Amino acid sequence: MAVLGRRLRRRQFLQAGAATAGALILPGRAPAQAGSKPLSGITLNIACWSSPYAKLLSDYVPQFQEATGAKVNYETPSFPIYNQRTDVELSTGGSSYDVLNVTFIYIGRWIGAGWFVPLDGYLKDPQKTPADWEPDDFLPGATAAFKNPAGRLYAIPWTADIYMGGAARYDLFEKAGKPMPDTFDELADTMKAVHMKDGVPGFLPENHYGWSFIPFLQGYGGNVFRDPPEDLTPVLDTPEAIAAAEFFAKLLHDYGPDGAISYTYEQVVATLKAGRANYSPNGQIFLVQMGAKDSKVANTCNFSMCPAGPKGRFPGVATHGWGIPTGSKNKDAAWQFITWALSKPLIRQMVAERGYSSITRRSLIDSPEFKGKLTVNGHDIVKIYLDTIELGTRGYMKYRTIYVYPQVDKQIDIAIQNIASGQMSAAQAMRQAQQNSLAELQRAGIKL
Amino acid sequence: MATQPASIERAPRPARLPRAAVPGWRREQQRSFALGLIPALLVLVAITLGPTIYLIITSLTPLDPVHPHSATDFSDPAGNYRALIADARFLNSLWVQMKLSVATVAAQLAIGLGVALLLNAGSRFLEAVRTAFILPMVLPPIVVAVVWKVIFTPDVSPVHRMLAAIGLPVHSLIADPAMALWAIAVADTWEWFPFTMLMALAALQMIPGEPIDAARIDGAGRLALFRYILFPYLRPTLVVAGLFRLIDSIKAFPLIYVLTNGGPGTATEVTNYYAFVESFNFSYWGYGSAIATLMVAGVLLLSWIIGHLGQGAERDE
Repeated sequence: MAVLGRRLRRRQFLQAGAATAGALILPGRAPAQAGSKPLSGITLNIACWSSPYAKLLSDYVPQFQEATGAKVNYETPSFPIYNQRTDVELSTGGSSYDVLNVTFIYIGRWIGAGWFVPLDGYLKDPQKTPADWEPDDFLPGATAAFKNPAGRLYAIPWTADIYMGGAARYDLFEKAGKPMPDTFDELADTMKAVHMKDGVPGFLPENHYGWSFIPFLQGYGGNVFRDPPEDLTPVLDTPEAIAAAEFFAKLLHDYGPDGAISYTYEQVVATLKAGRANYSPNGQIFLVQMGAKDSKVANTCNFSMCPAGPKGRFPGVATHGWGIPTGSKNKDAAWQFITWALSKPLIRQMVAERGYSSITRRSLIDSPEFKGKLTVNGHDIVKIYLDTIELGTRGYMKYRTIYVYPQVDKQIDIAIQNIASGQMSAAQAMRQAQQNSLAELQRAGIKL
Repeated sequence: MATQPASIERAPRPARLPRAAVPGWRREQQRSFALGLIPALLVLVAITLGPTIYLIITSLTPLDPVHPHSATDFSDPAGNYRALIADARFLNSLWVQMKLSVATVAAQLAIGLGVALLLNAGSRFLEAVRTAFILPMVLPPIVVAVVWKVIFTPDVSPVHRMLAAIGLPVHSLIADPAMALWAIAVADTWEWFPFTMLMALAALQMIPGEPIDAARIDGAGRLALFRYILFPYLRPTLVVAGLFRLIDSIKAFPLIYVLTNGGPGTATEVTNYYAFVESFNFSYWGYGSAIATLMVAGVLLLSWIIGHLGQGAERDE
């Protein structure tokens, strides 16, 4: 019966998805008439970085092709390659892509330069967006990131990723008598207690320190810019920033695996799932994979909010969204893809079938399916998710959508590597990061 | 040891005829040939010199695609070059580049030559071995980079595990600022020594047997044979192989991108990689073009110097 029930649910999902696609494609007509394949002959080129969501979605793209007749070329290169390639594509006015991910740290640059089309017109047109698609259902905090100062919307968020803590081998924490760390001091204390127990290194963040280090920087009372977006003077050499860098690099150096500074986000996930590293502060979209079927730590993992520093708790909240580049020659078809990819039935299906964990529709976040899937190894991640998103509304993430942040982001990467590898003291490395950031921003024409 | 390598003997250059002595039909023929060459030359200029000229022009602007008007802003044409002189990261990248180039070219020439000498005999077994040695060179560079990423990641590396098992644990080389560049040099040498090996092997097989036989009759040992017979024949080939490898070393990219991303810090950030970061991470295309222009100038200068040295070596012989 259980198998039958599962089949029925799957069939229901497929029917609902097809009906939604049909309704979107042929507005005003019955879903049964969707078989006319209105996008036959159209090829859509779509790209996103290799996030778990983007990889999951690729399995469902054939549904869209089947329902619409469109041919979809779908790419998911790694994060840096996607951003570099897309930046060149957009800045040269290329028309190679119809739907692109608007990367969080490039929002200011890509939208500010007018390289994406506003979506308000599509959203207001009932012929292009049916009422039951409910654009207001998306988390306001995530949607707000894609609006320009005039309030026009340029992308629809597909993720609201939060920065949290995850332990792959919580059993080793328990043996050491340590709970999930809630403060930086507890984190240092716990790492000392569990490092190399059972041969497992204690601490492993991803080596994109412009993301993984910032909650520590802000937790110590520092920041990236003095007062973004009004004052973009970098403040990486303050005593608070130096103390944060020293603390973070020490964790990396003392409790990280050999070569910790060379671990990319994909390596971190694979290492955690294999139980070869223990605690990682990272995005929940990565950490929940510890509970996947192919994970060796599905029965030992645990989760908590990002630890708080002396000045408070500042977990990163990142969002990415689907947008239509101005060079696209198939904008209407591109919008149909976006509405399909972010339709309630499809997202619900991805949650139910594949455990997709980083959704942006409030109605689905509150659904029993989502809550069920985000209970990993008996631990409720939904509460962490919602509490963190709530914290993010305080505005401390403003630094991230500044259009010159990628330049400073790279300086932070270099600084943490320099400290953790013993090439420089924290003070030297952060002063160098400050000087180089100033030079890069001046090169960008910013008056400081 | 007075034997002269046949391959480096120079024929006397024919004397140029005075213009009046060239028959009219011959001048007409030369003009026709020149006219016939013009379309091909135009295409050549368009596809090779064109982009280079555009690169140089761009280097005179602060081009940033966010501000399209900057493509034609020539208000401070030397600005990028002035900034480069004061850019510590650029100067560091030159030093890193020099260390990497010297290490890899020297290692590839030495290992390539050594292996070529070992394999310079006619047997089916050695032919099979030669083919096996060529494999790294024909692999796509990104595959080579991934292979070495696995080898250099202690967590999954069979080499690290083996060394640890015999009591000789080695820490991650690519995360160690003192070793990361040399780790890249090892991977690059593994990938490209077959090139110098092939060049040296081809040159070895062109050496006539008589001078070698004569030297042996004169009682020359292996070392003397190599020093006075084989090496003089091989030197021009090695100079050319070294030049090719030197130019290629300046273009090193996939290994650095995959293995270290220029780090730890900037320990493996060569000039090429720095130009990439400025151009494609930060979108300072004007600045990146200035770096690339200096690299082109450097490569041309190096090519000229080494070519000149090679010719000098031939004349000395």
